[in-house]
Amino acid sequence: MSRITVENVTRRYGDVRAVDGVGLDVAHGDFLVLLGPSGCGKSTLLRMIAGLIPPSEGRVLVDGNDVTETPARDRDLAMVFQSYALYPHLTVERNIGFPLRARKTRKADIRRRVTEVADILDLGALLSRRPRELSGGQRQRVALGRALVRDPGAFLMDEPLSNLDAQLRTATRTEITELHRRLGRTFVYVTHDQVEAMTMATSVAVLNRGRLEQIGTPTEVYDTPASAFVAGFMGSPPMNLLDAEIVTRDGRLHAVAAGVDAPLGLGHLGKPGEPGEQAQRPAILGVRPEHLSLRPVADGDPAPEAGGSGGGATLHGLVRTVENLGSEEIAHCRVGSAEVAVRARRPAGFTVGESVVLTVRPEHTHLFDRESGRRLVWQPDRDASVPAARVPVAT
Amino acid sequence: MTLANFDAPVMPGGQSRTRVVVGHLTLAVLGLACVFPIYWLYATSLRRPNDVYEVSPLPWPLSVGSYRTAIDEINVLRLLLNTTLIAVLTALGQLLTSLLAAYAFAAWNFPLKRVLYLAFVGSWLVPFQVAMLPNYVLLHQLGLLNTLSGVIVPNLVSGLGVLLLRQHLDSFPKELLEAARMDGRSSWSTLWTVVVPNLRAALAALGILLLVNAWNEYFWPALVLQRHNDVLQLGIRSFMSATEGDDWGPLTATAGLACLPIFIIYLVLQRHVVSGFVRSGLR
Repeated sequence: MSRITVENVTRRYGDVRAVDGVGLDVAHGDFLVLLGPSGCGKSTLLRMIAGLIPPSEGRVLVDGNDVTETPARDRDLAMVFQSYALYPHLTVERNIGFPLRARKTRKADIRRRVTEVADILDLGALLSRRPRELSGGQRQRVALGRALVRDPGAFLMDEPLSNLDAQLRTATRTEITELHRRLGRTFVYVTHDQVEAMTMATSVAVLNRGRLEQIGTPTEVYDTPASAFVAGFMGSPPMNLLDAEIVTRDGRLHAVAAGVDAPLGLGHLGKPGEPGEQAQRPAILGVRPEHLSLRPVADGDPAPEAGGSGGGATLHGLVRTVENLGSEEIAHCRVGSAEVAVRARRPAGFTVGESVVLTVRPEHTHLFDRESGRRLVWQPDRDASVPAARVPVAT
Repeated sequence: MTLANFDAPVMPGGQSRTRVVVGHLTLAVLGLACVFPIYWLYATSLRRPNDVYEVSPLPWPLSVGSYRTAIDEINVLRLLLNTTLIAVLTALGQLLTSLLAAYAFAAWNFPLKRVLYLAFVGSWLVPFQVAMLPNYVLLHQLGLLNTLSGVIVPNLVSGLGVLLLRQHLDSFPKELLEAARMDGRSSWSTLWTVVVPNLRAALAALGILLLVNAWNEYFWPALVLQRHNDVLQLGIRSFMSATEGDDWGPLTATAGLACLPIFIIYLVLQRHVVSGFVRSGLR
């Protein structure tokens, strides 16, 4: 097993910082997914861990030993590449045995290990074939086999499922998760697919423009995104993000925008107009599509500007399109000038062109600073003489 | 019911059949013009010694007299071996140095890489006549004049070979090289266990190209070997005389023998030879 630590690692290409001051600590047996859009630096970071490219700054440690200057072959790490990188001139058997031959392992031991790995990955019948005679899924398994055969301390995987069709991807996802559970080794896995991250990882590190946005369990990253970027990246459809203003109304904090009034569910504040009352502040209001409830506008509903009812946030909008996903429906609504997605089980009764009221419970609303994009959290003041609710929301 | 329109049939490229026929005829005439001198060479070599100035298209009656004269007067077997040795060693040397240089340029980053590469390519662009005298003086100082080594050593590096192999290696999947590094191979080991086996077609094509070039070399061996006619191409000179006139029978017979190995290579490895010329951008 290997513990992988990345300390303040930066990789520059000219003036561009592909990876910018990233720090990670991957524990023994952890399955860390590096997640982010194309060009965010996740593959560059993985290659620096592998030793294929040197960092411009920072250190890489394996089991506490600084391996920043150590050649890739001496790091006790195995890698599975996006293109599988199988040697075209070698049979499956010789491909899998390649790392052992490079390490001058005895022929009998190579044969035994290759047979073991082939049994694990169900490749026994394919050992005499060449890579061009294999399907995408079989090639992927051979690439896994080549990584498995020398029993490394950790596995590095660079989008290994991206060349597979959807059905095979789901099956292989399960196989890799099962493999991780069985081997108990450290896995560092790069993907831009959040479904892979959510289903396979024990930890997810979200990267954006070379910087680490958030690291946490899949649940933490999904439920409490650290930034508007993470909120907008996770989920399909992602979290609805609306520009809003945090204002005090009747002694309570609200996030308001055109067609939106979201009480933030905070404790009772001082009376309106009293000193210390929260000043108006620009923010981004976030709500997951599955946390929104939708109903048609009724005669007795208050006007959009009149505020929410029953302590929940209300959004007034118009249903523009409805997508049928089989088990679920997604309604895309226009709220003010923003687009808001609502997800519900079928039949949800969404009707295109209908004016609707969307409601969400306060605990399901998220706030982000408009300027920095970071999550706003409520910090009770340590000074008891100042009412807690008067303390500004902090980033 | 409508009448069919009987226009001239149109080929897929939009060309009429007439244009295609004219095109093929032109190519056929040009092909014959290329092949005719070679045919005439062998036709003359197979005429009876007294018939070499005949202009009948068919060499009849056939005779191997010219070949017998050539073999009697010059040691054809020794010249053939020498020529083969020079051509094979030159081609192998060029192939090896081209492979190492191209691998370094394609897989490594080092200071002055671009300048060095341009220098390699530039060496290919420099005419032979420019480098001829400095090379000659150097061989003289090294005492290699009139030796086969003197013919081979200055030609062990080919700018064209570096250029062509680097193009191939630039399109070689970088992930294969990285995979070999992760799997425990050094750069040297990666070259021989991963790169070369996957570059066999390109190496074969380039090797043939270099072999043909080295085989056909005349001027440099003539300069280095001077008074010794140690290769077939120089052996032909034995039958050329300014005073008594050229002895066309054995001359064409020796030239025919010099061409034979290249024809055999072409027949056996036709696909690779054509590929070599196409890949090099030369026709």
